[in-house]
This record gives sequence, C-alpha cells and structure tokens, in this order.
Amino acid sequence: MRDCAMRGLRVLLIERADIATGASGRNHGLLHSGARYAVNDPESAAECIVENKILRRIAAHCIEPTNGLFISLPEDDLSYQNTFVEACHKAGIGAEVLDPKEALRLEPSVNPELIGAVRVPDASVDPFRLCASNMLDAKLRGAQVRLRTEVTGFIREGDTIRGVHTRSVQTGRTADYYAPVVVNACGVWGQEVAQMAGVQVGMFPSKGALLIFAHRVNNMVINRCRKPSNADILVPGDTVCIIGTTSTRIPLENCHRVSVTPDEVTLLVTEGAKLTPALSETRILRAFAGVRPLVSDDNDPTGRNISRGIVCLDHETRDGLKGFVTITGGKLTTYRQMAEKATDVVCHKLGVNKVCETAITPLPGSEGRSYEELAREIWEAPSTAQKAATARLGSVVSEMPKRSRQDEALVCECEEVPVWEVNNAFERMGVSSLTDLRRRTRVGMGTCQGEFCACRAAGLLAKAQDCAERERADLLKFMGERWKGNFPIGWGESLREAEYTQWVYKHVLGL
Amino acid sequence: MRFDTVIIGGGLAGLVAGISLQQAGRSTAIVSTGQNALHFFSGSFESMLEAPERLTALFAGAGIRVHYNPGFRLTPLGTFREAALSLEDISLFPEAKFADKALIACVPGYLDYFSAFLAEGLEKQGIQCRLCSLDLPEELQDGSVERRSVQLARLVDRDWKKIVQQIRLMIKDEDAVVLPQLCGLQDASVPEHLRQEIPARVVFAGTMPPSIPGIRTQRLLKRRYEVLGGTYLSGDEALEAQVEGNRIMSVRTRNLDVHALEASHFILASGSFFSKGLRSNPFRVWEPVFGADVSYAEDRNAWYNPEFAGDQPYMQFGVKTDAALHALVGGSPRENLYVIGSVLGGTRPEFGSGAGLAIRSAFAAVDQILESL
Repeated sequence: MRDCAMRGLRVLLIERADIATGASGRNHGLLHSGARYAVNDPESAAECIVENKILRRIAAHCIEPTNGLFISLPEDDLSYQNTFVEACHKAGIGAEVLDPKEALRLEPSVNPELIGAVRVPDASVDPFRLCASNMLDAKLRGAQVRLRTEVTGFIREGDTIRGVHTRSVQTGRTADYYAPVVVNACGVWGQEVAQMAGVQVGMFPSKGALLIFAHRVNNMVINRCRKPSNADILVPGDTVCIIGTTSTRIPLENCHRVSVTPDEVTLLVTEGAKLTPALSETRILRAFAGVRPLVSDDNDPTGRNISRGIVCLDHETRDGLKGFVTITGGKLTTYRQMAEKATDVVCHKLGVNKVCETAITPLPGSEGRSYEELAREIWEAPSTAQKAATARLGSVVSEMPKRSRQDEALVCECEEVPVWEVNNAFERMGVSSLTDLRRRTRVGMGTCQGEFCACRAAGLLAKAQDCAERERADLLKFMGERWKGNFPIGWGESLREAEYTQWVYKHVLGL
Repeated sequence: MRFDTVIIGGGLAGLVAGISLQQAGRSTAIVSTGQNALHFFSGSFESMLEAPERLTALFAGAGIRVHYNPGFRLTPLGTFREAALSLEDISLFPEAKFADKALIACVPGYLDYFSAFLAEGLEKQGIQCRLCSLDLPEELQDGSVERRSVQLARLVDRDWKKIVQQIRLMIKDEDAVVLPQLCGLQDASVPEHLRQEIPARVVFAGTMPPSIPGIRTQRLLKRRYEVLGGTYLSGDEALEAQVEGNRIMSVRTRNLDVHALEASHFILASGSFFSKGLRSNPFRVWEPVFGADVSYAEDRNAWYNPEFAGDQPYMQFGVKTDAALHALVGGSPRENLYVIGSVLGGTRPEFGSGAGLAIRSAFAAVDQILESL
C-alpha cells in the first residue's frame, strides 16, 4: 500500500481483521541477516541481507541492532561452521568467527558449554510498530484503509478482474470497490482468495509455536549453528525474549485458530535452555503460534526445506486472468521487497513508470535522530516512560499535541504506556478494540498480561468511543485472548498471576 | 517458642481463627508472608448469605461494622452482583435501581476507577447519570506521580471536607452521589462523615486493587488480634514442619531460623496459588509446608478452561482433609493440623467459597481446637 501510494497510485487496503494479525505479527520479531538460510536457501538469504540493511535505515525506530550469534554446542558438528560461514560470505552476509570465550563475554546469557560462535548482523524488529508505521505513512500519502472488512467475492468480467465485493465484519454492511488491479497479499489465506478469483495458488500452511519469556535474558539474537530445526532461535525484543519455533504442517481450514500444545511448550523450553540455560528458570509469559505462508512445491512434510523466497504471480501471464496479482512466500524481513515486486507488476500493468523509493524513504518515526535525543527535545529530563513511548513512536512524537500532566499518567506499567500515547492510537491509528490498541502500543503485552492495564485502557476507550457496553464486551474478549496464550504455560508464577486475574476480573470488577 | 496454636497465613481465615482463639484464652501466633486476599477484597462477603452473630460480634470487637441486607452490590464496572453481607461502606441494594438520578464523581487522571462503565451500567437500570470531576490536592497535580488507590485515599482521608464542599457545589437534583472507594484507609470514620455531610445517598464504587476497605479490614483485624495478645509475625514464611507420628510438633520459619514455633495445634490458612499456599510446576501441584495431599488433575490439560470467563478447574484444587478438617498427608490425617480458607480450594464445597469459605472453615477449626485440651 505504501509503495503504491508513493508511486502516485490511488490505493485501497482491505484487511479482514487488523494490521499484523497474521504471520506479520505472529513471529519472533527477528530481522534476519539471512544467515539462517545461507546454506540451504541461498536465494532468500541474499534477499534477507539486502533488506536487513535497508530496514535499518528506513525503519530505525522499529529495529534494535542487536547482532546475532550462531553457536555450536558439544553435540553439534563443528565442521558445519565452515560450511555456514562460507555460505554467508557467498550471500553477502558479514559472518565473523568468534572465540567461544569472546562470545560469552559479548553475550553472558549464552550456554557456557559452547564450542564455537559466529557473529552475524541479525537484529530485533517490532513487527507491530513496523506495520503501523507503514500504514500511517501510506495514509499520509493518500492511501485509504478499510480494516475489519472482508472480501466476499470478485467482480469479474470475462477474463478480467474489475474489483471486489466486501462486507464489514463489524456492521455487516457490504460495499463494492472497483480498480484496474487487485493484489492478493493475504499470506496463507491467499489460496482461498485466489480461489475466489478463479485461479489456483497452492499454499503450504506451516504452524510455528513460540514462547515469550517475562525477562529479556539475552541482548543478542542467539541461533544454533546447524541445519534449521525446532526451537533454535532466541530473539530479544523490548523487555522480553522469544524462543521458537516449531514447524508443523496444518490444514488450511485450521489457520484461523492455531494454538500451542503442552508438548510443544516442553520442546521449546528444553531446546531453548540449550541456547541459554537461564531459560529453564525464567518465567514464561505466554505461548503463541503463527502460520508461515509457504508456497507448496514438494512433499516436504515439515516445510523446513521449502524456500522462504518471494513468490510474485502475475495471473495474466500465468493463468490468463487480467487485473489480478498474488504476492506471497517471503518473510517479515523481506516484506518491503515483496511490496516492491508486486508494485512493479501493478505499475507495469497501469503503464506507470515511476521507480520504487521505499528503500530510500524513511518511515514516519525513523527520520534520523535517536529516541533519546528526540525525548530530550520534548522533555527536559525524560522519564523512562517518556523514553519508552518515544522509542515506540519515533519522530512522530514531536508532532503530538501538547500533553497535560494528566496525560502522562501510565495506563500500562509493564510497558510504560502513558495516556497520551493511548489517545494518539485512538485518534490516528484506527483502533477500535483493545487488541488493536495492543498491536499499536504494547498495552497488555507485559508481565501482567493485561491484568491491570486492560481495564484502564478499556475505561479510556469507553470514553473515546462513548460506548461502554461494547467496550465491556471488548474487555472480556481481550482478556480471553490473553488467556489463550497464558494457559498453555499455566504453572508456577504464571498460574499465580492467572488466579489473581480471575479474582480481580470476576469477583472484584464483576466482569 | 511455644504456643497453644500456630496459624500459617494472616489473611481473613487466619485472623478470624486467631482472634477467636485469643478471645477463648488460647495463646497463638500467626505467620504471615505479607499481603493476602484482603488486599483485593470487594468488601462483600462472597458466598455468605447469612449474618452469623459470631462473625458480626468478632468484627464489631475489631471496630469493623458490617451490615446485612440481601440484594445487590455495585461492581466497579457498573454491573450488579448478588450480595447479602458487606462492610458498612459497601452499599447493598434490594434492587439495582437505587436512585432516580446519580452524580458520578471521578478523579481526573485516575485510571483505576471506571466512570464511563458506571454511568452506562446505572443508565441501564434507569438511573439518569451526570459525570463530574473532583479537583485534586496540589501534590497530585504532577502527572509523574502515579495515581493509585492508596495514595489517593491518604489525601481523601485528610481532605474529605474539601470533597464534601465540591460535591455540594456540583450537585443539582440528584438523589445519589457515586464516589470512588478511596476513603477510610487510616481513619475508618471518613466514609460515614461523607455520608452524613453530602445531601444525597452516597454510594462508593470500587476501584482496581489494592482495595481500600480490604486493607482497612486487614489492619483492624490484625490490630484486634494483637490487642488480644496474639503474636503476628509479619513478613515471615513457614518453611517446614517437624512431625512425630501423626502429630505436628513444630514449624520452622525463615526469620526465626533455628527457633522453631512449637504448638499443640496448627492451622494451615496459607491461601491458594496466589498466596503460595499451593505451588505448581508443569507436572504437579503441592502444598509446600506440610507436604499435605493435594487434590488436582494429573493431566495438565485438564487444569484449565480455555474460556477465560468459564470456571477454571485449577481453582478447585486444594488440600485434602478428613471430615474434621485435619490435613491428610500420604492419605492419613495429621491429628493436630487443621486446614482452613482458600488453600482448601473446592475440596470442601459445603463451606462455600471466597470469604464464606474462609470464615466458616475458620470457625469449624476453632471449635475443634477449643473442644480438645
């Protein structure tokens, strides 16, 4: 949407749920260097490193340049390290072999039994912030967005797609939109959407389960230096860290409701503790799962060997269907390039020859200065909460209306989100529920998992929308969604917190 | 150190038991880790549908006034829940429409009180609502100071007359005023003053924890217990018990180190998971002090209801007891160890749940201790 808008196209984004609800928001938050794919999938490794470098510039406020380690443990074959480093260099990825002692000094949480380590330019990325910034920028450039609107069918004339039929998920209202080109960027659901248009795109839905730990035990991304396998990446992000993943093929019809099983939790904890022993003692915050939109090409039962490369299909040349393009495959790290490829095809069809500028134009929030400098421009001595908010919003923060003292009160103590940031999300970022708010501000993502902040935010949302009744239902739904990720890891401290939440919400608040 | 009875847990159950035993002339000690369920007490005694004289007398002795008025209480989110027995400052209504017009006062920047939800909930009952803001004392004007219930309550207790003045200026034809439950923390008479001085029915609506009436109740009960000569060991933790045959001889605590607490009777009132009376890992649930048998599901998948709003099976897990509330260890009862309060979970449904379970099981255990020598 941003790329189309930047090339002067009139563009409309239709999203069934909210931004970043699918694989875009359900992942490690790893900005790949490409090293993980260097040996087996050099094509996507090369894509990753190019994009890695670009995103560090254009989306600086969404990225923490943590670097990453690929460690070898006593049970791993150290000779794989040579293959790995060679493949990295071939793909253009800076990979530096470190002495294990040096690696332990750089990253004290790493398993001290490591026998080898390679440093690569992995980084941590906040996918929610990244998606929100893209949406914000596209809107500033004239694009339109219809969230919570689903496509129910295509408007087709002979061999040409003319537009789409849609229905609002909230109100049920239907609307038809006409455009000379429709782009299918529906990830794993792209198969269904393509089917509606009358063409076949074979997806290979691959579920990945992940765990979020309540503390940030590592500062660098930690990977295992071996063939990609289960639970071999630990990524730090904000105040937490995330271990993952598994890889299980699931039926397409189950993609809407993926959940994590106790066995997967056990596997993730056991394998994760091999990367960083502290994980076996660290409280787990929640479990979640996402579905990779892999494109089918063989009978690999796990999907581990399917390329993570970008697949851009012009259905006019492929199937004789005009006005329809599918962009799929790829990864979070290569999202920008996926957009560029799809927009190139669209522009070609429309006879527009403006070149892509997304690689050189920073996203709103990423224009230059560090968040600490920005925060100091606004507040004489910024508090950690003010710095946290600035880090989330980037340079956009200086455009905010003047804040009163009351607006500085914290809604979410775990993530330090103030009232003004929540109100900004209501006003400018298309928030209509607590879950939307969470994706834009991190409210409810912290240690308490919404116990204290959810009802505070609900109080504000009820006022902003002037509808307390709907908000009461939304609050219950939000707590239900938090619980879905809490119960698979419900023991020890997490169970204490869960019991407290039950008492507060049911008995005290009377929800 | 030797006592007649040592009580593990200083929440509602432990304090009710301790006060009752002290009143009967027994020497007791309470080992308390610190906060307990009273810190998020709604102020209504859940599952108490009667008002036992024994309880009201015990509370009156501590300076806590309760009232019995079967009906409904107003929740912080503007819904109504059935309740019969409450602290005096928690209003109970025979029917939910308790007024024609209500003035809902809120504190600007205080996010733990939900005026929009309250207004919607009351309007639904046919009560016309108007919102107004209370001016804050100077020291809370700065946004960098977090506004939480305890902080505000200290100021309201000090400046309650100013609140009365403000309300008097703002009230028009309303017959009820809804105020956040932020008073009577230090001075238990403040809620009553507000009621007398405001020319309309005053209804206090709850806030997010910590609960002001809950903290006050805890403090008054603890003070009463100590006035009666009880030994309240605050910030200490029971670690393990010394056992001979079927009897508990003593309990060792973290702070007292080698000086174990010896007693003829022991009461386990340590609360459930939140209070660490029950502990869990991915494979089992256990009771950490006495190693008492716990009733729980072997299969962890059966611990939870995936629906947040549904009843959660793990909340029913609890220590197993015989008919006389003696804890079972390895299937056999410990003859001088009684289990009371929420560490029982749902194993003794005849005692109810929540505050009801705490109070009923505490009295039942006390009676048995007093019958024995």
